[in-house]
Amino acid sequence: MTIKNKAYITSTALICCSGTNEADLFHNICTKNSFIKTDANYFNNTPAALGKIDSENNFFDDLILKCEELLLKSNLTNFKETLLIVGSSVGGIAITEDIYFTNGDYKKINPNYHNINTIQTLLEKKFTFLDGLSFSTACTSSANALGYAHEVISKGIYKNVLVLGIDQLSQTTVGGFLSLGVLSSKPCKPFDINREGMNVSEAIAAILIQSEPTKNSVELCGVGYSSDAYHMTHPHPDGLGAKSAMEKALQQANITSDDIDYINAHGTGTQANDSAEANAIESLFGNKPFVSSTKSITGHTLGAAGAVEAIICKLIINNQTIPTNTNLAMQENVNINLTMENIKQKIDYTISNSFAFGGNNCSLIFGKVK
Amino acid sequence: MKINLEILNTACIYDKNEIKELEMKQLVPKMVTRRRLTRASKIAIYLAHKVDFKIGRIMYGSSFSEMPATANILKRIKDKEAISPTDFQNSVYNTAASYLSMLYENKNEIMTISSGDQTSKQLLKLGAIKALDGDEILLIATETLNIPNIEEVNHCIDYLECGIALKVKVTHSSANLDFIKTHNSLKIPNSLNELFIIANQFDENRKNIIEIVI
Repeated sequence: MTIKNKAYITSTALICCSGTNEADLFHNICTKNSFIKTDANYFNNTPAALGKIDSENNFFDDLILKCEELLLKSNLTNFKETLLIVGSSVGGIAITEDIYFTNGDYKKINPNYHNINTIQTLLEKKFTFLDGLSFSTACTSSANALGYAHEVISKGIYKNVLVLGIDQLSQTTVGGFLSLGVLSSKPCKPFDINREGMNVSEAIAAILIQSEPTKNSVELCGVGYSSDAYHMTHPHPDGLGAKSAMEKALQQANITSDDIDYINAHGTGTQANDSAEANAIESLFGNKPFVSSTKSITGHTLGAAGAVEAIICKLIINNQTIPTNTNLAMQENVNINLTMENIKQKIDYTISNSFAFGGNNCSLIFGKVK
Repeated sequence: MKINLEILNTACIYDKNEIKELEMKQLVPKMVTRRRLTRASKIAIYLAHKVDFKIGRIMYGSSFSEMPATANILKRIKDKEAISPTDFQNSVYNTAASYLSMLYENKNEIMTISSGDQTSKQLLKLGAIKALDGDEILLIATETLNIPNIEEVNHCIDYLECGIALKVKVTHSSANLDFIKTHNSLKIPNSLNELFIIANQFDENRKNIIEIVI
């Protein structure tokens, strides 16, 4: 790909179970302050540890509020010259669930508020965008949305792109992951030998990507995509797809594995993901860069995870602080450099991994603006 | 910005209820794999075969994606039954594209978008921007709306199973296809309209080029 322009994260806004703003989230990550709680309300009274947003507002009202907040922080007055790219795995499924479980039929379901495009439809009631589309690749949805934002800016097609990573807790996702036997009843322990599974969570993460940097911007330097072509829900045990995505991201960023200071792992806390990802990291990076998963604090926000963790990578670079792992007592793979405390050091580049059902992989590299 | 795409091949299939001849035994010899495939996956595999595409980047689009799996899940939750893990793993929007990648061990970039009635239009824009890198790209869109009681919400679509594939690459030649709106007498889902219009104009005896305005 010919790079005409660089892509910068210039403004962000977010809400998740562990913070209604970026500063609170970063503080909670660094102080191991998790808000993931056991909840039995989502699926047949079965307890699962979930990351629910604590807000007085309706979830989709918070979506509008977060976009307004981002607009106020940005150098834009509106989104009329901005491409909207949504990344979501479930879209409006919670709206459908409310109607269907109340009425027992589909009659009052509005198809426009069921599918992934629900998010764009709701946003367009409040804002005007230049154009818009939605990516839905399960847990890589907003990572892929960010990747596409990088591509359209790099190719000189757009100057401003609003990426929204968003997923709401629903009975479908909680019950679905329970059916797969991968949910933990306690806050997750990514990369721990005794990990018990993941925590489903919800989040809204808004990121403005622009072709010109502003104060405290971070560059989105490279993107790597791959497909495992292996299994619908299990990654290749050696993490071959994950490794390939990271290699391609390094190649596009024109840096080497030695340049990476920190890896924000996909690190869901499931047996299959963490061992495969650790193998991929070990194979490509050895034990040089620090590694952590922040999902023990945010939970797994599914389609929003890529955007949430992009914001975390920006905070890490802005604060020049690598965060500790939470709940990690005994690491399974001892050949990767999992952090056990917060580390203040020079950080030039971070990489963020997102992997999904279907073997869909996306790695994003963020760098200090030079 | 305008990008001209050469349409190298097209395939299109639709039925009012269920498409019958998808050649699954021939295309997916392993029964264990075949049994797990969703309707959208079968349609995508059939269409990819028809346009002779196995390895490369795939851009897939669907407005509603895996409706049968989603409907099964919702019914089971309503009836207070356990969700089928197969239904859950098959309910994500990228299911069809993922099975297609697994079948041919295609390890390339594979994207799934969903933009409601604008899905085809956005898929063409996405495909055109991706194709600027110079490779041949497969664009596929499907809808599989044939679920019990769909008539409770469907009042305008006659063809409940539809799929269209275009194999494309960037060209500097002039466009000879257009998007002049033709009456959608078939009443296929709006999400497939733009791809359908292109597929209908495709003539294998000439170069077929469409201008995509970004």
